[in-house]
Amino acid sequence: MSDYIALVNLQIPGTSLPAASAEPGLAPGWLGRALESVAVWIALLLSWWVASVYLPLGDNPLLPSPLITARALWESLPELWAGTLSSLTILLPGFALATLLGIVSGLTVGTSARLQRIFLPFAKVAGPVPPTVYIPYAIAILPTFKLSAIFVVFIGAFWPIFQNAVAGAHALEQRYRDNARILGLTRLEYQRRVVFPAALPHIFTGMAVGLAFSFILLTVAELFGANAGLGRFVQYYADFADYPKMVAGILYTGLVTFLAMTLLDSVRRRSLFWLK
Amino acid sequence: MSPGLKLEGVGFAYDTTQVLQDINVSIPEGQLVSLLGASGSGKTTLLRLAAGLDPVGSGCLTWNGAPVVGPSLERGVVFQDYALFPWLSVVDNIEIAIAKARPTVRKAERLAEAGQYLRDLGLEVAIGKYPGELSGGMRQRAAIARALALGSPLLLMDEPFGALDPVNRARLQDLLLEVWELATPRKTIVFVTHDVDEAIYLGDRLIVLGSSPGRVIADLEVPLGRPRERRSLLDSHSLHALREQVAATLVQDTLQRLKAA
Repeated sequence: MSDYIALVNLQIPGTSLPAASAEPGLAPGWLGRALESVAVWIALLLSWWVASVYLPLGDNPLLPSPLITARALWESLPELWAGTLSSLTILLPGFALATLLGIVSGLTVGTSARLQRIFLPFAKVAGPVPPTVYIPYAIAILPTFKLSAIFVVFIGAFWPIFQNAVAGAHALEQRYRDNARILGLTRLEYQRRVVFPAALPHIFTGMAVGLAFSFILLTVAELFGANAGLGRFVQYYADFADYPKMVAGILYTGLVTFLAMTLLDSVRRRSLFWLK
Repeated sequence: MSPGLKLEGVGFAYDTTQVLQDINVSIPEGQLVSLLGASGSGKTTLLRLAAGLDPVGSGCLTWNGAPVVGPSLERGVVFQDYALFPWLSVVDNIEIAIAKARPTVRKAERLAEAGQYLRDLGLEVAIGKYPGELSGGMRQRAAIARALALGSPLLLMDEPFGALDPVNRARLQDLLLEVWELATPRKTIVFVTHDVDEAIYLGDRLIVLGSSPGRVIADLEVPLGRPRERRSLLDSHSLHALREQVAATLVQDTLQRLKAA
């Protein structure tokens, strides 16, 4: 089991930064800290601007200047917003279903030696299969593009959540198991009041990985045949060589992904307030 | 069958290691017994068997005549590491015990009762807090409150004050005695410790376990009256004599083991 439990241990952004005081040298003041946090952004923006203005990139450069991109982004906002809503109608059902089934099945399997013997060999084989390979097959077999895309998002998000839920159930300390037995908790009470909350740190790690996968798979799936959505927006304007809009679409998708991950991190912090 | 906790020829092995061997002990109801022994003598294992958390390897273990085959609300446990669920508030940790012990009581009443247990143990400040917000001593009080809330007639305590500083330890010892002496009928308590003074101060009786394998090497009555007064006991000849006797027994057991090795 232990090899199986060696999971993708991706951290949710902002959860494991080293303490500033641990670094040698003088601790910066509030202005210094504020500058540090935006320094990379300023450097990237400047590099982008310098490259787009001074490099000989032709009349329709693949790298339009920040100003032109910003204008394209502003003009495309209504279309991007509609694309966001379209993408969310794929991402939310797929991710929600993966979360629900991943948690329920992961905790059930993680607390039963028999179910582990039955399911974990299969999970070991099926889990690592890159979900992108399912996309053409899902489009061919399911009646609509939307259903296919939801299915692919579900598959991509399910395995990390399932695996982490199994690991979380395994990581439950013996003293809590003993305590639950002493209290005479029923199996359902044990799952709901002990295993689930104890496994939440692992589950949130799985959800963060699953959400990141969901965005990747969503945009990839939209390249295949969607008539709306963020991935489709980028692909559509790339086909027409409208690079300002294409770059605007990439930046906007990055922002939406960042906001979604930040929202999940916020829910994680609130839910795990008891971790000290 | 006599009431109380009875162990007849109880043994337990972990893989090929014999942890406990031929334990014969009878603890009548209402007695507070200190189970004393060096680290690795099988004290915790014995307690887990009595709690039903592990199955007896050989022999017979009964509580009030019925074989112990698994955990039961009849037998509450206080663990050394508190084992309060950190994701539940302190009140909810106790309420969950009341809900299991008395399922017909409504939730509002259960919460009020849980609050009362905390107040009785001097933990008013813990109401509305989570275990992670409390000190070690406060957490152990809350763990005792939960064990009391279960209403179990047998209380198994596994070095519950082992991780506390001396002041908190003394306070909780006194609190335990106060709660136990005031209750009617008195609970049967098996108190595991490796501290000789603590064992004598609390117990009616000392059961001393030797090591490798764990077995009873002494079963002694504590010749001290109740209620116990810590200061007056400091000068008690009986206490000093008993402490010497226990220490000598443990040293002798260690020497015998070294000789055998």
